[in-house]
Amino acid sequence: METFHNIGTTTDWIVMVVYFLVVMLFGSYFGRYTKSTSDFFFGGRRFSWWLITMSIVATGVGSHSFVKYSAKGFEHGISSSMTYLNDWFFVPFFMFGWLPIIVYSKVRSIPEYFEKRFSPSARFLATILLLLYMVGYIGIGFLTLGKALLPMLPEAVNVMGTAIDITLMRAIVVIAIITGIYITFGGQTAVIFTDLLQGFILLFAGFMLFFIGISYLGGFSTFWDLLPTTWKLPLAEFNKPSSFNFVGIFWQDAVAGSIGFLFMNQGLLMRFMACKSVNEGRKAAAINIMFILPLSAVVVGSAGWLGKAISVVSPDIISPNTSPDEIFVVVASIITSPGVFGFVMAALTAALMSTVDTLINATAAICVNDIYRPIVTYLKPDRQEIESEKDRRELFVARLASIGITALGVLAVLAFKNFPTVYEAHGYFHSTLTPPLVVAIFMGVFWKRFTPAGVITTFLGGVLLMIIGARFPGIFIAPFDHGIEMNPARPYSYIRALYNTIVCIGVGVYVTAMGNNYNRFVDIFKSRQSGRSEMVGLTAVVGLAFALALFGNSTMNTQVLSAVFVVILVPGIVGYFVSYDEQKATEGLTSWSLDKAKIMFKGSDINDQVGEKVEVVFKQEDERENIIRFSKNDMERMSANVGDLVYLSDKRKWLGGLKSIHSTYGEIHNEDGVVYMGTRNIETGLFDKGRILIAEKEM
Amino acid sequence: MDLFTHSWLPFFYLYGMGALFFFPGLYLITKTKSLDMNKPQHRKWMKILLFGYVWFMALHGILITLALK
Repeated sequence: METFHNIGTTTDWIVMVVYFLVVMLFGSYFGRYTKSTSDFFFGGRRFSWWLITMSIVATGVGSHSFVKYSAKGFEHGISSSMTYLNDWFFVPFFMFGWLPIIVYSKVRSIPEYFEKRFSPSARFLATILLLLYMVGYIGIGFLTLGKALLPMLPEAVNVMGTAIDITLMRAIVVIAIITGIYITFGGQTAVIFTDLLQGFILLFAGFMLFFIGISYLGGFSTFWDLLPTTWKLPLAEFNKPSSFNFVGIFWQDAVAGSIGFLFMNQGLLMRFMACKSVNEGRKAAAINIMFILPLSAVVVGSAGWLGKAISVVSPDIISPNTSPDEIFVVVASIITSPGVFGFVMAALTAALMSTVDTLINATAAICVNDIYRPIVTYLKPDRQEIESEKDRRELFVARLASIGITALGVLAVLAFKNFPTVYEAHGYFHSTLTPPLVVAIFMGVFWKRFTPAGVITTFLGGVLLMIIGARFPGIFIAPFDHGIEMNPARPYSYIRALYNTIVCIGVGVYVTAMGNNYNRFVDIFKSRQSGRSEMVGLTAVVGLAFALALFGNSTMNTQVLSAVFVVILVPGIVGYFVSYDEQKATEGLTSWSLDKAKIMFKGSDINDQVGEKVEVVFKQEDERENIIRFSKNDMERMSANVGDLVYLSDKRKWLGGLKSIHSTYGEIHNEDGVVYMGTRNIETGLFDKGRILIAEKEM
Repeated sequence: MDLFTHSWLPFFYLYGMGALFFFPGLYLITKTKSLDMNKPQHRKWMKILLFGYVWFMALHGILITLALK
């Protein structure tokens, strides 16, 4: 396979360096708005849908990168980016299930939801799985970045007379250091604004490359006619080849991937949580999936399609043997002039960095929220601390966590770098790590009867059955293969997602359906005097069975029996040791009780009367609790009552909510067009004196 | 060359299997009242959700037809 080095000119490198400096300055400018952990992680829940939509582009396009889709585009044609058009099926669940729950329940991370909805032990297991998922995702991001930049780098550099080879891993380490520095000092507001800029630039650069390529080939009809029919089709061949087939990728991406992306990608969820309201989050999701993703599909895959067309007419310019993961860089260097190539590469690498930044930021949020805080609370339960000091301490921990996660992300590359393409590495990763969490979240949100016993057994038993499936794919995954041939080197990279999802659902449904039987089982042990010690003994035996299946030093039958043993007994053990009040645990935390969630969020009954928006200017008054005060007439126009929630933002729409606050209506006054508020609200809202503000009732 | 397994078979699978997730999803969110059809804004969202399904189906249908032409 043909690989490249030293692609690009000095001009291109200068353009790239300038681009990075501009982006970092842009991010740093908005980084100054980071005043607390809430700002660092969630951007203060203030932004408009359009700003979030565009900022998601860089995250989505970056993570489903130019590199991997161009590679598959070069190998298989337009179907390479089919996964950009298959996310809609789970949107109803997301918009009207998961999104309102995470916003109204005020959870800061997915594991925190698991604690509220189930138990601390469920949170612990969810944290482990989610960290594995996020660090793996960061590893994929670094791998892609390395593969994108490697063709531009020389084979070796001379440092003080010593020639140092530039390898993939060395390039990745340098990239990781740059990425880590940026995110450590920026935070979510900086990332959102950097991504906003890059979202626009990415789409622009991608389309520019596409149109330059079409012109290079002599027009669209020439390009279209050069492609074989199978390359023009938008969906892949149903079940072959094993490295790229429709049905496997449907289960890996349209099902596990889409739910994973919408429901458990902490980075993406934090973007939606940064929206000013749930409805704005819905708009951001709808516009992004319906319109931006189809455009992105062209942007990310087109270099591969163009590369294929060029290789058909001029195999001497682009050899059909070109390494697929390098095709984007090769095509871009051939069809663009020096400087423009640098710009395209800068846009690509900066977008990838954005994705990685977002993920590092999100993983740091999990570390602070789900590891650091619980440990601090456990060690010093009575600790009294001023809020601002606590915030400063947590911000410091968040920054340290960002550095640690960046290092782990680099190590994770080792697990993926031997896959033939980034696409397959990503597919394998998604199929393997998403099903248990996806199934647990889904059942937790939509099934009230799903208990801690159900979720913990899904995690433990589901993972065991998945591991056994991976060890013996010809026996366990083959029945679901839809005729896909098994590649012994990487068996069922994609369709394994179907098997993994089914076993996790199966475990969850089994435990929930058998709930009453397990309750009786628990009652028996609780009624016995020696019940507790018997249960501890049983736990040890189940632990042994778990280890037997996990480490696989036994026959297949023993492993299967051990896993079944775990699935049958864990619900009883969890039922015995974990106290669970279904009424309390499900209130406001499932889609069946969203009204209750809103009441809990607000702290009082919901006022659903539709009111107008009003224009006001602010006047400062003595500091009060988080309230702002309007005139009687303005309150009537907004159909608001004292105690309702209000959103106040700068009138300039292009700011996208950067200067805004959420607050509560306080007692009324008589000055129409004026809002009274304390210094803290003015500072948090970043309001400028004399500027017109728009007030609207939130709920 | 028989292109059915590369064109309409994946199309039918995608929207057939997708429907098994999408429409029960709609049913579930209306049944749980998280999408409350008594609210005008939610009625609009229901239309948007249905439009999205048709929009992607049409997009794929057109692209397949153009490729096979």
